[in-house]
Amino acid sequence: MTPIKLNRRELMVGAGAAVLTARSAFAQGEPPKPKQIVVNASGGSMNTALRKAYFDAFEKETGIRVVETSPVDLGKLKAMVGSGNVEWNLTEIGGQDGALVQRLGLVEKIDPKLVDRSAYPKEARGEYIFASSVYSTVLAYRTDVFAPGKQPKGWAEFWDVKRFPGPRSMRNHPVDNLEYALLADGVPADKLYPIDMDRAFKKLDEIKPHVNVWWTTGQQPAQLLLDKEVVLATGWNGRFFDLMKKGAPIAVDWTQGSLKQGTFVIPKGAKDPYWANKMLAYMSDAKRQSIYANELGYPGLNLESIKYIDPQAAPHMPTHPENLSKQFWLNVAWWDGNLEKSMERWKQWLLKK
Amino acid sequence: MTPADRVRRRAVGSAIVLSVPAVLLLLALFAVPLLRLLALSVEGGSLVAYQRALTNELYLRVIFETFKIAAVVTLLTLALGYPVAYVMATSGRVWQLVGIAFVLLPFWTSILVRTYAWMVMLGRNGVVNRTLIGWGVIDSPLPLLNNLAGVLIGMVHVLLPYMILPVFNAVKKVDPNLVLAAEGLGAPRWRAFLRVTLPLTMNGVAAGVTLVFTLSLGFFITPALLGGGRVVMIANLIEEQVRELLNWAFAGALSAILLALTLAAFWGISRIARTRSA
Repeated sequence: MTPIKLNRRELMVGAGAAVLTARSAFAQGEPPKPKQIVVNASGGSMNTALRKAYFDAFEKETGIRVVETSPVDLGKLKAMVGSGNVEWNLTEIGGQDGALVQRLGLVEKIDPKLVDRSAYPKEARGEYIFASSVYSTVLAYRTDVFAPGKQPKGWAEFWDVKRFPGPRSMRNHPVDNLEYALLADGVPADKLYPIDMDRAFKKLDEIKPHVNVWWTTGQQPAQLLLDKEVVLATGWNGRFFDLMKKGAPIAVDWTQGSLKQGTFVIPKGAKDPYWANKMLAYMSDAKRQSIYANELGYPGLNLESIKYIDPQAAPHMPTHPENLSKQFWLNVAWWDGNLEKSMERWKQWLLKK
Repeated sequence: MTPADRVRRRAVGSAIVLSVPAVLLLLALFAVPLLRLLALSVEGGSLVAYQRALTNELYLRVIFETFKIAAVVTLLTLALGYPVAYVMATSGRVWQLVGIAFVLLPFWTSILVRTYAWMVMLGRNGVVNRTLIGWGVIDSPLPLLNNLAGVLIGMVHVLLPYMILPVFNAVKKVDPNLVLAAEGLGAPRWRAFLRVTLPLTMNGVAAGVTLVFTLSLGFFITPALLGGGRVVMIANLIEEQVRELLNWAFAGALSAILLALTLAAFWGISRIARTRSA
């Protein structure tokens, strides 16, 4: 056999034809299936619920194994994308980091042909950002210290240590806390942004001596309430929901809670993006989102999913109409531009005697 | 060249050959990433990151606090670790093994698990406070957690083995006949210890101090969880820059400053140790 010799022109034409045939093959079927895809998320009970709601069905229907990793780590995402060795097909990121990863070019576009978000609210159909669920940073209290109905409602009352005495815990982070301080100081929820930092930190001075623990991990506030280390704490609603399901003397007040979106992205340069999008399609399904919500208290953004939520769990959802109207949405865009500055100032404020 | 010279030369040669894999490993896994980190910190040939780190009151203060905490932790581990090491090294074989087991078991346990365990122990309603209140020793709970005290307890616990093991080793090497000779010459036991054992174990102490001090400088999980947010060490700020703010240039600059100060401390400790043991 004589070896086939091609000149450059013929080679290009050939390559073009190959691309064309590949395209039409894609249009008819699906790209080759990988053995597995890797989904990185927060870990713990969240991964258990992800598996129950989405991963098991995905594995069964596609035959592709889903490998779970944790924790959420923005630094690792940046390192993976930078080195070109992207291990994750899909990763969760912090609710406030959506704008940042987009600005740094760390994420791929979501394919609207594969992921149908027509039942999502318009604001939640990000080009690069997949909103998986809603969560809120809320106030939780010990019911044996404050009888339900007699708990502080809203941040002005949380700040009122005479009427509501006892040690408190808040997150060791300016996000949420600057908003809470302004709300406590009488700023209306629709006038929070741009945040007046001087005013917020001045108000925070008042509560500082009464905050026993500035928490860093999501499990801390729940544990602190359970151990009665504190009687009031801010924290992610799902962590408290979990304790309440187990019968702990803890309840949540939704007044002026800070709503955010749980977020998943496809890392830039990730392998098999088709299958990552396919997974997102599973994760946008109304019925499946309700399984996740019943488990964790984090409802999905597919508005249809409300229909399938267990009526017992419904009042514990941040999107329950009664709760939703009491809360405000965190302004992610403002935080993207001001995070570093406010974190520096937060630490300075914390260390100030 | 005498045969002895030849043997010595061959020994040196084979030592070099034998150390090649370790040196290569260190170069690839430590020196190269370190240089890349330093390169990151001067991104675009600018020293802005260093200027910010060295002029902002926050970073200077946190660096100072970090060194202060590291020094206190080192002194505490020395005060607690030396007697333990001494007793272990001078007791019988069985007790020695038991002692080593007690030192090493926590050493092999995850630092996170140990930190959470301290949260259970030290809280307002924790084991320690409830016991003391139950015995009527105190009326209201002691503030042992979510402050500097909690951080010091947690760090000393994690770092004790790094002090005990080198000191243990040094005490074991002291010839007991020297102590006997000193006592035979009329020295009371405490003087024999001060004049004979202590100087001969200074190498072990120096090794322990160096290990504990330098490791302390890089702590971040323990202060984050046991300090209740009131204790900030420089590693906490570096981690925040790397993982949350993605400002790697600034993280690189902070790391480089920490590295330089650590090397300076290392040099200082070894100088003191050399003049002491000389």
